[in-house]
Amino acid sequence: MDAVFYDGESARRRTVSLKVTASSLDIHEGGEWIASWPTGAVRRKDAPEGMLRLTCEGGPLLARLDVTDPADQAAIRTHCLRLEGRESKERTGRILFWSLAAAASIVLCVAFLIPIFAEKLTPLIPPSVEKRFGTAVDNQVKALLGDKVCNAKPGVAALQILTERLQKAKGLELDLDIAVLESKIPNAIALPGGKIYVFQALLDEAGSADELAGVLAHEIGHVANRDGLRKMIQSGGTSYLLGLLFGDVTGGGAIVLASEYLINSAHSREAETAADDFAGQAMITLGRPAHPMAQLLKRIEGDEDDEEGNERKLPAFLSTHPVTDQRLKALEKLVPSKPGEPLLSQEEWRALKEICKPT
Amino acid sequence: MTTSVSSDVPLTAPQPSLMLFSGGRGEFLKMLIKGSLLQIPTFGFYRFWLNTKIRRYLWANTQVQGEAFEYTGTAKELLIGFLIALAVLAPLYIVYFILAFMLEEQAAFASIPLVLVMYVLAHFGGYRARKYRASRTVFRGIRFWMKGSGWAYAFRAILWDFAMMFTLGLALPWATASLERYRMRHTYFGTIQGDFSGTGWTLFKRGWWIWALSLIAMIASFAIGSALEAADPENGKSLAGGMVFLAILVVMLLWPLTLAIFTRWHIDGLRFGDVVMTNNLRAGPVYGLFFKVLFSSIGFMLAFILVAAIFAGAGYLFFDGLGALFFDGAESGEPGLAEASTIFVTMILYLVFLLGFGVINRYFFGRGLWAAVVTTTSVSNLPALDAAVAAGQPSGVLGEGLADALDFNAGI
Repeated sequence: MDAVFYDGESARRRTVSLKVTASSLDIHEGGEWIASWPTGAVRRKDAPEGMLRLTCEGGPLLARLDVTDPADQAAIRTHCLRLEGRESKERTGRILFWSLAAAASIVLCVAFLIPIFAEKLTPLIPPSVEKRFGTAVDNQVKALLGDKVCNAKPGVAALQILTERLQKAKGLELDLDIAVLESKIPNAIALPGGKIYVFQALLDEAGSADELAGVLAHEIGHVANRDGLRKMIQSGGTSYLLGLLFGDVTGGGAIVLASEYLINSAHSREAETAADDFAGQAMITLGRPAHPMAQLLKRIEGDEDDEEGNERKLPAFLSTHPVTDQRLKALEKLVPSKPGEPLLSQEEWRALKEICKPT
Repeated sequence: MTTSVSSDVPLTAPQPSLMLFSGGRGEFLKMLIKGSLLQIPTFGFYRFWLNTKIRRYLWANTQVQGEAFEYTGTAKELLIGFLIALAVLAPLYIVYFILAFMLEEQAAFASIPLVLVMYVLAHFGGYRARKYRASRTVFRGIRFWMKGSGWAYAFRAILWDFAMMFTLGLALPWATASLERYRMRHTYFGTIQGDFSGTGWTLFKRGWWIWALSLIAMIASFAIGSALEAADPENGKSLAGGMVFLAILVVMLLWPLTLAIFTRWHIDGLRFGDVVMTNNLRAGPVYGLFFKVLFSSIGFMLAFILVAAIFAGAGYLFFDGLGALFFDGAESGEPGLAEASTIFVTMILYLVFLLGFGVINRYFFGRGLWAAVVTTTSVSNLPALDAAVAAGQPSGVLGEGLADALDFNAGI
């Protein structure tokens, strides 16, 4: 049976006969000699089952010889010993090794270098820029959680008094903007640039001015440490790098989110401890105990447990605000040496509790 | 079957030759499963090797008159393309981020229109990716290749996107015809230029009723849904949701038919010099593939859930017992051994779950659809190709890299 030869320069299909010797593969078309390929240079290319497609290394790049005759194929395989060539062999082990190494180095960079980068960059960003970030985040917060800010005048005044006393305790003059937002979520958040939202549900749950003051002081601590800005840089950098490299892999999106969450949670816990310290010191300076704040948080968390009072199933290291025994103990240790006067009068406290009632 | 026709004997009449697909199912499935599983330990990087293998298999098993195509691309090229795309996208993403923030300051979610940039990149990358694939396709020792600029194509494509938006999709046949003409006229087999003879009007005539039906289905579902919601506010919302779901189902069920109509029109229009192609893919086989994907997916999902549940149950008992002995991670706030292993195993299971669907999809809609299209395509005037002389160079990999990095579908 004849073989088919393509010379790689024209698309003409040429029927040829082959002669295979130990040193060369001779190609003849109708008696006329076309080419001789040294057996050492013959390489195999992709072909359908039953066909042997060959090329010559060193010859025209796209020249092809399609051999279908079984006898010819056997002869070729016997004499041409380097059909597979060096490049075509896939070394899966190497691919595994280098992919693992690359991924590991990327993940390590993300886990260690980005937090350092965020730490270094945060002090360099001027407060005016931070405020602009805060505005952008505020727009999204309001879009997602509603923009009903509670503004009953007596309540706002009481909140103002509380804030000033807390600031004075730490000798700070931060540009703060604290407000109560109508929401069923029992929480408080500090945005970059000094905006703090206390959600109505948390205010409703607070039993005394000390409890609320502790939480407020904690959030002010976040503002003082510029935690919001740092978190944004870190979170942005992490999602940027991980998304760039792994985001388009099957399942990558969710994995990226999960790793981001884990990495961010780890550093959140450091920031939370620092904010707890800040709050504790502030309360002590004012002569008030620090643990009511922890009790408030524990109570809120407790509302979310099941009937038997078992701990929530979410493991502590996944939560960014874990009310761990560690936190409770740390705050309970902070007892003022000299008790101070109440932070708000009965009247002021009542006014604050009713800040969300329509006037 | 090799029909040994000597090139000196002239053919009498140009008989259309039916194309042949010779690739075995088992071989493909094994390659697909092994390649998909290898993506887990390689953090996804193995996809360049798997995609190259798939293309080599598909190209080499596609034959006409005993002559098979060949894919000459390599996995290394795809990897480099990906890295180049990263180098391009890295600064782009930062600019995007800054712009988005400046817009978000003005109003929430005002940065969403920036996504238009991604669409432009998708069109650009799509054209360049096709350029890459064409120039790695060899037939009879001659390379296919393409001229034309990715940006010029992207510009045309975006204009057509707007046209389609404003006409509720009605402009699609004309958009497809125009863009395919641009692509084919810039595609060459050696020195023979390609062309596209299909018209938007022909496609419209064959498929307008599908567009109309889908539109009616969507409008009707909204209308009925709103009426239900107004009449019965309590249950109305879920019923309205059900109506929308039904409409989507109708559109989905029309899709295989649409694909068959489109494929016939598309391939009927392809030209290379005097070489003409025709296709008669019927909707039946496409529906067959569609339902095979559906039922395989359901079967896989059930099997997976069963196996995962057994493992989870066993694992829970195992770790619950050990947990008391070793780490009590939940309290200290640090990940204990139990928590970390659980998360790790869950991630792996999740990946396997997703990869399984990928395998099913590529097996039926990748190989299955390719085979169905190839075996219903005929080529006429094949000898006209004899005049082609080698021309063109292998093109660069940026397009493939962008297609991979931005995760848009540029074909097989």
